[in-house]
Amino acid sequence: MNIPTHLPNVNRMIHAYRVAPWRVQRQWIGGALLVVLVFAMVGALYLNVTSRTAIAGREIQDLTDAIAASRQASSDLQTQLAGLTSAVSMETRAREMGFRPVEPDELEYLVVPGYVAPRAVDLSSPSETQLNVLAIPPEYNQSLLDWMDERLMSARRFQ
Amino acid sequence: MRQQYGRRSQVLAGALALFALTIVAQMTRIQNSPEAEIFRQRSEAYAYEYRTFYPNRGEIYDRKGRLLAGEKIVYEVGVDLNIMTDPHAISFAVADTLGMDYDGLMEVIQNPPEGLSYLILADYVEAEQALYLQELKKALNREAPEGSTGGLTGLQFKSHPQRSYPENALASNILGFVNREGLGYFGVEEKYDSLLAGNPVTVLAPTDPNKAFEIPRAPDGTTLILTVDRDLQSAAEDILDNALWEYGARDGLIAIMNPRTGELYAMAVAQRMNLNNFWNYGAVYSNATEFNPAISMTYEPGSVMKILTMAAALDSGTVTPETTYLDTGSILVGGVTVQNWDRNPWGLQNMVGCLQYSLNVCMVTLSTQMGAGTFYDYMDAFGLGHLTGVDLAYEAPGRLKVPGDADWYPVDLGTNAFGQGVAVTPIQMMSAISAVANKGRMVIPHVLYAMVRDGRQHEVPEQFGATPISEQTAATLSEMLAVSLEQESSLALVPGYRVAGKTGTAQIPIDGIYDSAQTNVSFIGWGPVDAPQFMIYVWLERPTTSSWSSETAAPVFSQMAQRAVIILDIPPDSVRPQLASQ
Repeated sequence: MNIPTHLPNVNRMIHAYRVAPWRVQRQWIGGALLVVLVFAMVGALYLNVTSRTAIAGREIQDLTDAIAASRQASSDLQTQLAGLTSAVSMETRAREMGFRPVEPDELEYLVVPGYVAPRAVDLSSPSETQLNVLAIPPEYNQSLLDWMDERLMSARRFQ
Repeated sequence: MRQQYGRRSQVLAGALALFALTIVAQMTRIQNSPEAEIFRQRSEAYAYEYRTFYPNRGEIYDRKGRLLAGEKIVYEVGVDLNIMTDPHAISFAVADTLGMDYDGLMEVIQNPPEGLSYLILADYVEAEQALYLQELKKALNREAPEGSTGGLTGLQFKSHPQRSYPENALASNILGFVNREGLGYFGVEEKYDSLLAGNPVTVLAPTDPNKAFEIPRAPDGTTLILTVDRDLQSAAEDILDNALWEYGARDGLIAIMNPRTGELYAMAVAQRMNLNNFWNYGAVYSNATEFNPAISMTYEPGSVMKILTMAAALDSGTVTPETTYLDTGSILVGGVTVQNWDRNPWGLQNMVGCLQYSLNVCMVTLSTQMGAGTFYDYMDAFGLGHLTGVDLAYEAPGRLKVPGDADWYPVDLGTNAFGQGVAVTPIQMMSAISAVANKGRMVIPHVLYAMVRDGRQHEVPEQFGATPISEQTAATLSEMLAVSLEQESSLALVPGYRVAGKTGTAQIPIDGIYDSAQTNVSFIGWGPVDAPQFMIYVWLERPTTSSWSSETAAPVFSQMAQRAVIILDIPPDSVRPQLASQ
């Protein structure tokens, strides 16, 4: 076999192989194992993120259904309550308890200083939180590449 | 020795590599096999599913936050034919619980339409019945082993909302109703259908949890707050029902409005329906105009119209309150003799007496002195023959004949002045006469107070109509009407509150001839005169105990006003100066 011996690196390798062939093999195996390890780590990370995303997605589905069911149940209960306190029901209950409609000549209009009668109901609920894109944590809509990109960006920012 | 190890390692590494390659090759082969294609197709079939989203229709509240229209949960009862074990048991249970035909159910279940695996047996099932069936299913399935007969395996329940009206028939003419297809009919439900509706949406939704964000959201409908006061509406309906019985009237209505803003507080009609049983509509009403006659019924207003004629005469400068005329009991107009209601002369009268005694001859005198051009210009400005714009479905415009119309005759100038030969709606009269109570400016009657969406309440800005008369004319006429009621000791007077108003007794035209024996009576009034907060219109059809509005509609007005001032928390005239000084 003709081996080009004029190249110093090749000569060095041949010499090393002849002295201790297992060293080179170990280097090759070590390199291969490193590659496998890197792939395994990336794979595990990807699997982890994907499974967590899937679980989160399923939770979103369940919560969406639960929210819809809760809203319907709330509306149903509200309607039942309104039925129990309807004008006819309340009047019937009042009469059963011995009340009767007041006659105009039995009334005396009292002026309460500072009292202002409310004009109409206000059903606004300022405390109601509005679900928007900004309120959703990034874990729910960020891909692995997005996450890595964000980490790199933040690392550069702090350099 | 090392060489041996090295060789063995190479062999082992080669074997492992071969094993790994075999696995990869096998995976590749499986992925591309014909069976894999079949599995892929099957998985795609499960990747998406048709889902129906039932957003809540917007609720309707009264001005004090009492629910008038909401949602309740009802159930769709169906059967999954793939897992059903005993069609007889399912048919029997459903038929017995829901009162359906057993044979019919069996026929449907045993001979389903081609390709269907899920059958809807009944929809809009009440919660109690559905829960009973669910309990029955659990109990029977405990008794019957898996796969055996006797169980209700396959019977399924899906809940969804349905419109519900907790007050049943109260304010039915204002609210309208929603049918099972989610369409609003009449009243607020129809007028604001597009705002209220959160119609069910059926979409192809992904089952893949990674695509959860693709699931569409069906936004809920807008909640409405009405200007209506439930207590006042209830009182108005009670008073109307009593009035119909007491005076033997066929039909009637009472409408209450704030003449300063146009907010309708109540609108009671005689024929009401339980909105939860909307399918009875055809049995209750013979045509659409009967659903809410306050906005849809056109009729001859009678003497209530004299308010508008006098307003026009005062505003045009034709007369002043002190102007006198000699009432001879009749007057010739357009070749026809017009007489007073009692056919008697009333001698020398000023304009207050003209209103107080409701003299037709006086009104004809005024309209002819004004001339057709001026008179009809004013009537047009008052909105007669036009829609008021009230936010309820099926408003009728009425009809005001004017010179130039094929069916207008010169006598109409005289008869129109006291409310004959002109077709109006009750809401039109209220809108027109609101100008007198509101410093010359008409209001646009409305029932919508505010809308609530995404937790925020948006109040509807006030809207006003034309200004047909001056503020001075409005004040003068209000005072004249108040004085005429007081001088007459009218039954319309309200203790503690000064009110202005006018009776209206309209003969009913039968085959073109007015029948003096049968009348429609009405009264429109407002108060307190110095700062009006309510305007009440009472109309009764053909009362049998008396044909005069002063004896029928006027006391109903007084009764209604006395309840209104309590419910609306309006201080008496004697107290109001104290409040103003605070």
